Amino acid sequence: MALIAAAPVSAQAGSHWYNAPADVPAIALRPFVDISTEAFTAVKTFNAVFGERTAPFWGGGLQVVLWRGRVYADLGASRLLKKNGELVGERAFVNEGVAYELGIPLRSTIKSLELVGGYRFNVTPRVIPYVGAGFGNYHYTEESDFAAPAENLDVEHGGYIFQAGAELRAHRWIGVAGDAHFTRVPGILGVSGVSQQFATDLSVGSRAREKDLGGWAVRLKVVVGR
Amino acid sequence: MKFQGGAAGTVSVQSLRTVSTTAALTRRPDYVDFDIVTIDAAEDPAQVAAALRQRPDVEWAQPAYYLHTNLVPNDPDYKSLQWNLPLIDVEKAWDIQPAAGSSITVAVIDTGLAYTNATITANIFGFRGRLGTYPAIPNAVIPYSAATQLITPGRVVAPHDFVLDTNMPLDFDGHGTHVSGTIGQLTNDGIGVAGVAFNVKLMPLKALCSEWDVLFGTPVSRCSTDDNVAQAIRYAADNGAKIINMSIGRDTAPNCATNRNQPDCAPAIEDAMNYAVGKGVFIAIAAGNEFNEGNPTQTPAEIASRIQGAVSVAAVGVFKEHASYSSSGSWVELAAPGGIGGREDAGYVWQQTFDFRFTDTFELPPAQYERPRFDMLRSVGYAGTSQATPHVAGVAALLMQQGVTSPAAIEAALEKFAVDLGATGKDELFGYGLIDARNSLFGLGLAK
Repeated sequence: MALIAAAPVSAQAGSHWYNAPADVPAIALRPFVDISTEAFTAVKTFNAVFGERTAPFWGGGLQVVLWRGRVYADLGASRLLKKNGELVGERAFVNEGVAYELGIPLRSTIKSLELVGGYRFNVTPRVIPYVGAGFGNYHYTEESDFAAPAENLDVEHGGYIFQAGAELRAHRWIGVAGDAHFTRVPGILGVSGVSQQFATDLSVGSRAREKDLGGWAVRLKVVVGR
Repeated sequence: MKFQGGAAGTVSVQSLRTVSTTAALTRRPDYVDFDIVTIDAAEDPAQVAAALRQRPDVEWAQPAYYLHTNLVPNDPDYKSLQWNLPLIDVEKAWDIQPAAGSSITVAVIDTGLAYTNATITANIFGFRGRLGTYPAIPNAVIPYSAATQLITPGRVVAPHDFVLDTNMPLDFDGHGTHVSGTIGQLTNDGIGVAGVAFNVKLMPLKALCSEWDVLFGTPVSRCSTDDNVAQAIRYAADNGAKIINMSIGRDTAPNCATNRNQPDCAPAIEDAMNYAVGKGVFIAIAAGNEFNEGNPTQTPAEIASRIQGAVSVAAVGVFKEHASYSSSGSWVELAAPGGIGGREDAGYVWQQTFDFRFTDTFELPPAQYERPRFDMLRSVGYAGTSQATPHVAGVAALLMQQGVTSPAAIEAALEKFAVDLGATGKDELFGYGLIDARNSLFGLGLAK
């Protein structure tokens, strides 16, 4: 008497890295929405003006998954999850590493458009870790009460991104992902303003950090698609 | 924008789309006869408005410019006489800080202040003057008036005379009253001229004598001494002053920084200044008017350069030029309007004080000499680092009202936002430059 154990049908499919259902397309388009909390690298600068170094963001975009789920590319946009999409703080002045608020309202917006590509790993059919890297365009605005037009700011600069996380396939068509998202955005902070004061103040350690508009974010993402 | 005929309609919306694909009409506000068009933030409103104006169905179109308040005082002599306040951008500073120091007390260590009405009876000594011998005037009845453009009920705090150790620091010179006027003369009241921090409280502390103090019998040995000044500084700090103005000084040794226990140094004043700054008091000190007299080092101005939270102040004229009398040295830290003298009104800083035609009767020939009157007031022009210094004290009061309470931070703010004059960077004539009241209060944004 022989036991015949037939191999699972999926193991005999063309893509072998995970037991993807046969109907997972070779290329999938998956829209997503996300929400995140970012801790800005320029700690002293953000604390000086806004009184805090973290801020919530929300966004969304489109993910393209290739090679039957192995490779992905995200194109996403995000903005501050705040009233009017603004961070509200006060103009300040820095002396020997200490900031003094001046009570003049200042409002900032941060918007991003990011393109990230990465790799999805075989662990289990339901939990799919991934890592990725990419670049983005970051749009920063700043305006204050009593400011002449030339004293407000509207500027864009490129930056780069690293991310790592995992997607949980909650449903055939829904995935929920959590990831850590690191951005580095030079060229906006550190040129002028409080950020420049901190970036050049010899009494401040880690001055270079005050030139970076990026930071670490923890992100929750809901993806629709196979 | 306004459409021809006053009403927006289908035709009008089409007009918008030909000049801006993002243009949209908002709901017309009540009580207006125009429409508001919104466009994407990336578009230039001036260009869109210009394009709309070319349309035949558009009566007018303009960007929604931002307006701001801009306090220009209605004091009648402000525009004609007070070049000094616009020079340091005080009008825009008032927009930011309209309270103008209402919660701040400024101590003025000087010849006193015309702060109360009085009738003084004095035995005036005889003396030998420049034009001859002047007789004594016994039982002279001398009228005295408070400076009407400076004194309001409750404005004067803890007055003290350190010359006679009384609580009546009456000014018999006019200098202290004039300096106090630059700091806090009543403003926008339709009278006379204006002051920088026109709502501050004033603490007149008399440490210096005038000719009349001596002629009234004050011993010269009690006049204008270092111990008077040192006491006054400590008193100010202990009685709630947050700013001290000292438009005073004398020659000193050039190396008191390395050895203050030598003739001409001022250790008593230096210790008092450190005490006051340690209690959160900012000190502004005149740099001196001795540039043409050998330019000796001046104290307490030189001491200020060694204390973060005390500054020495040089003088500039209406064109931001160095005032020829203004002492110079490595200890000069800031500059402010002091006037250059001469024949023009713009060579002086104008504030209300005594009409010297009625006070300086000792300048008249003996035959015309008579008792003085201190009840005749007018706007008088003075020039000197004495006049420059209270501009700094006034701006410091505005900054302190804004929330910058550390004296060292106030000094750093004034120096950082000063307009560099002369040689690039800090120099011996102007220090870090001409103070800028508006930018000192406006500060910095995150990235701009």
